[in-house]
Amino acid sequence: MDAQLLNWMIFAPTIGAALCLLPGVSDQASKKIALLASLVTLGLSVWIAWDYYGGGLEGVQFETACEWIGAINAYYRVGIDGLSLPLVLLTTSLSVLVVLASWNIDKATKAFMALYLFLYTGMLGVFLSLDMFLFYVFFEISLLPMYFLIGVWGGPRKEYAAIKFFLYTLAGSICLLVVMLGLYFLTPFASPDNTTNTWIMATSDPGAVTLQSQTLRSLFSEGGVYWWFAKTAFWLTFIAFAIKLPLAPLHTWLPDAHVEAPTPISMILAGVLLKMGGYALMRITYPFFPDAAKYYWAAVGVIAVFGIIYGALCAMAQTDWKKLVAYSSVSHMGYVALGLAVMTRTAFDGAYYQMIAHGISSAMMFFLVGVVYERAHHRDLSRFGGMWLKWPGYGGWSLVGFFAGMGLPGLCGFIGEIMVLLGTFQAASPGAVGENNVAMVYTLGILSASAVVLTAGYILWMFQRVYLGLERPEYKEYAPVTGREYFVMATLGVAAVVFGLAPVLVFTLTDKTFTSIMASLGVS
Amino acid sequence: MNVPHVITALLVAATLMPLVSSLLIVFFGTRVMKAASGWFATGVMAGGFGCSVYALVLWLGHRPDTICNVLPWIPLPGNDPGWLYLGAMIDGLTVAMMVMVTGISTLVHLYSIGYMAGDKRFERFFAYLSLFTFSMLGIVISNSIMQLFVFWELVGLTSYLLIGFWFEKRGPQLACKKAFVMNRVGDMGFLIGFGILFYKLGGVVLLPAVEGGIFDSVRDLLAAEGYSITNPPMWLTAAGISLFFGAIGKSAQFPLHTWLPDAMEGPTPVSSIVHSATMVAAGVYLTGRIYPILTPGAHLFIATIGLVTLVLAACMALVMTDIKKVLAYSTLSQLGYMILGLGTGSYVFALYHLITHAFFKCCLFQCAGSVIHSAHHQQDMRYYGGLKSKMPITALCYFVCTLAISGASIPYTATGISGFYSKDGIIAGAANYSVAMSAGGWLGGLFMWGPLLVAYLTVFYMARSFALTFLGQPRDKHLHDHAHEVPWTMWLPQVCLAAMAVLTAPMIMGFWQGLIVETNETMIARGVYWVQSVADIHHGEHMIHGPLLHGFGWIVALSAGLLMYRGGMGISSKVVAIPGVNLLYTWAHNKFYFDALYDVFTVGLGKTVAYIVSAIDRYLVDGAVNLAGWVAKLCAALIGVIDSRVVDGAVNGAASAAASGGRLLSTTQAGRVRLYVLMLLTSATVVTLIVVTVTLVSAG
Repeated sequence: MDAQLLNWMIFAPTIGAALCLLPGVSDQASKKIALLASLVTLGLSVWIAWDYYGGGLEGVQFETACEWIGAINAYYRVGIDGLSLPLVLLTTSLSVLVVLASWNIDKATKAFMALYLFLYTGMLGVFLSLDMFLFYVFFEISLLPMYFLIGVWGGPRKEYAAIKFFLYTLAGSICLLVVMLGLYFLTPFASPDNTTNTWIMATSDPGAVTLQSQTLRSLFSEGGVYWWFAKTAFWLTFIAFAIKLPLAPLHTWLPDAHVEAPTPISMILAGVLLKMGGYALMRITYPFFPDAAKYYWAAVGVIAVFGIIYGALCAMAQTDWKKLVAYSSVSHMGYVALGLAVMTRTAFDGAYYQMIAHGISSAMMFFLVGVVYERAHHRDLSRFGGMWLKWPGYGGWSLVGFFAGMGLPGLCGFIGEIMVLLGTFQAASPGAVGENNVAMVYTLGILSASAVVLTAGYILWMFQRVYLGLERPEYKEYAPVTGREYFVMATLGVAAVVFGLAPVLVFTLTDKTFTSIMASLGVS
Repeated sequence: MNVPHVITALLVAATLMPLVSSLLIVFFGTRVMKAASGWFATGVMAGGFGCSVYALVLWLGHRPDTICNVLPWIPLPGNDPGWLYLGAMIDGLTVAMMVMVTGISTLVHLYSIGYMAGDKRFERFFAYLSLFTFSMLGIVISNSIMQLFVFWELVGLTSYLLIGFWFEKRGPQLACKKAFVMNRVGDMGFLIGFGILFYKLGGVVLLPAVEGGIFDSVRDLLAAEGYSITNPPMWLTAAGISLFFGAIGKSAQFPLHTWLPDAMEGPTPVSSIVHSATMVAAGVYLTGRIYPILTPGAHLFIATIGLVTLVLAACMALVMTDIKKVLAYSTLSQLGYMILGLGTGSYVFALYHLITHAFFKCCLFQCAGSVIHSAHHQQDMRYYGGLKSKMPITALCYFVCTLAISGASIPYTATGISGFYSKDGIIAGAANYSVAMSAGGWLGGLFMWGPLLVAYLTVFYMARSFALTFLGQPRDKHLHDHAHEVPWTMWLPQVCLAAMAVLTAPMIMGFWQGLIVETNETMIARGVYWVQSVADIHHGEHMIHGPLLHGFGWIVALSAGLLMYRGGMGISSKVVAIPGVNLLYTWAHNKFYFDALYDVFTVGLGKTVAYIVSAIDRYLVDGAVNLAGWVAKLCAALIGVIDSRVVDGAVNGAASAAASGGRLLSTTQAGRVRLYVLMLLTSATVVTLIVVTVTLVSAG
């Protein structure tokens, strides 16, 4: 029963999608079905979290494994652990808000809701698969609905943005596919008595050979037989997931996709889909090839810090409000990559927290932009001003949302940033990756600290241009902000405060899993 | 009764009360409380003040050891200890600061009820003001670098909201943004210093006054590595200077001082609290808190920054004609004194000056606010004159505080107004330091002569502002006719503050200085760090007072200022016409061109870089992506042509029956599917090539 709970959660949205598509279901009814399906899924995820908490918060729980394609040893294997649980909760909570945010979609509503719910299953599948083949399938499944959601319901350049998003991510998937094949064919070399090829990423079965088990990793360690493969595979998977993250300079699909996507899709894209990249780095790239990660830590660190600063500078130069928010995502996701690069526990925790926090704050920022865009039908920063006078309540929540994005203490964005920063300096400690390259550690630390100035710069400049000043005459025609919109803003705003004040909410769930991951990375 | 527990409870309550009142006003202010919000916030703040005073009484009665409570906040597995802590650390300095901040904040709240009456966002002003006070109290009660930073940023946020309170106007919009961004430049330094300490001390970030805090860890680490505080490793000096950068930002020291005068765009009550009890005080307080880990190199850096600030700011204060600008630059200059005091080792007097200055500077700003309020928001002193008869209470308060900031004393005695004791101690400490430094050359002498001369300059420019505003004949008749004394909600706080400016002198309210001395001694008792003892500093006073007419100097400077500006700017305009002087005047009047410099080199350069990077992103990075797509499409088209002409042509020639089928096939193949596959393969090839190159380069 317990194990089935997880499967029900993954496929509840698909059932909802099927219901939406039934003939005779009206547009209005399809919205209600979508809302109900996301509420049910949320309920199931909370139930699972509660059980996971009761189950000692340890290891993989709710595992289901059944053979799927016997010829290649692929299994349908899903389960939940500390690495996936908070992201699953983020997905399920955000999804309810996303459905509420799509209440005004009036073009082919049924199809929109069905595609969205289908995407939902894809996202949950990515976070919950424990079999690499299954992971790959879900990773691809999540692309397709997104392609249509942008391509059909998007803005003026929707076709361009949709196909760019699709191909870009697919290019990354090919890198991943190459590595998967390599891993599959190399696993039998792990030990003489092991002859099976495996796709298992993690499992609760202590006897099983997984892709991150010690025997296999000794092949890929520095000086091991397949060290060359590990080095190449590290970069291939890194690129695959860095595209998704996205990390500059592999980010250019993101601003286009965001600008063209409808508001709810931007919310889910920034809030959850980007997190797949970070999650996969933590689930696959680092645990599978820790020695390669240590070998290349400085290169990854430099790319990450470059991304942080580059994203912030690009954000500063934007005149399109939504594009500014999109580039802020590029900058913020750089912290995730930096936190992984330096391979200290503090930074690793920080990188994970940054993903959760960004899931809240970026979704909120995109929603805030969407509220105005729906009424103004433009996003040109030079044509706004005085929004705070127009809607004081909306202005107040905007302050919370954008300052959460800026990383103000007391709001969610701060915890991740400060932990990554402190953890970066720690990389110079004895036993850490930067022990013999203290100058590099200091450089990374100082440069990433300097980003706080740039972030304050672009957020405050934007805030000034949109919210401060006098109201414009055309605002008179704008419909008032509805209660539904305030509900979405307030929920995200309160979440931003709660997760800014109580980081233990996340770290309680992740602690034991992270301890074992860090132990397997061979760093403290 | 467990006294430490009661004291902790009282002070924590005093800290949280303004937060609660702020949140209540945010959610219920406009609908339920309305105009009562002002009185509500003031009442709550007064309650906080009451708690603090009661805690002070208990503290003085029982003299407990440093109290430290920790509250685990961010878990740090794998570190020792495994948490980043929040909490409350209470020692003498904390208690003194709590009483000062809550007291001043209560008076500013009261003053604002009168000053902000009729403003359309009246309620919200009190919500911000209370939140601002809460943030400052959070800094004061901090037990760790972590908590300091958290509230540090909240002070930044709330100052942004307060300075930009009238955000309809362009001036406040720019000023609040500037304040926040320049503060963040300092914060960047703070973060770096925090990072270095965190890495070296392994998560121990409690403040030095606590057993097992930074101080103990640093001392033990230095001993283990064969260093000492006088022979320190590089990282410790770097950490100290980096953390001090945070103070440079918040306390508006050179070179990050330009935001503070601009912050005058906020309502005057905001200026009165920003310039006294909160925000600018935070930087000095931080430096006082991290004091034991500062190395001689860091001390020299701090002293130099303080010296430069106090001289430059005094010069600028001398030439401003906007009354708030004069006071703003005088704040900068006085903060320079405090920072100089910390740098030169007169710990007690620097922090004592923080407290005395808070009272008289708050009062001066409130008086200036009252004048502006009754002068139809005219801030230029050239239009004032003769307001003494119209606003006697305000004039008296302003004069008392002018004496206080001047450090007035009775000649031939060591008796004076509060500012005399604190500033004199700083100058004496600087003189001692200067003697020690003069081994290094004549530059060391600047540490003595700089603050000494600026002390007299201070008297002069304050006398100038007093004379221009309150003395002589009215220069704008209309303005003078309409001027009137302010309502009691505004003059009462002024009178209280002016009284405090007199009363904080050691022989009347000895506990202010006593509490700081106590903190200092606790820290000295726990290990060696560099600080001049109070006795040494008193010795230093003999060096200064001997040659300076035993305290007649300030009378001369005051009289000169009053006489010169009694009749307006007439005499001074002749003085500044003198060649040489006019050059200096122009420089000072243009704020030594710092704003222009920053506009060009940082803001301008920053934006230009942002635009260039964005253009690169759009045309180069994204261009490469689009090029790849375009090339793939081109290949597809070519192959499509080959397919239909060559391959299909051959098929055509061979069998016409198959031709129609072949054409059908070719259309599908030349269509989208093939195009996608090709684009895909091209991208995959490009990516693989990049990977191979990277691998080769990094392996080779």
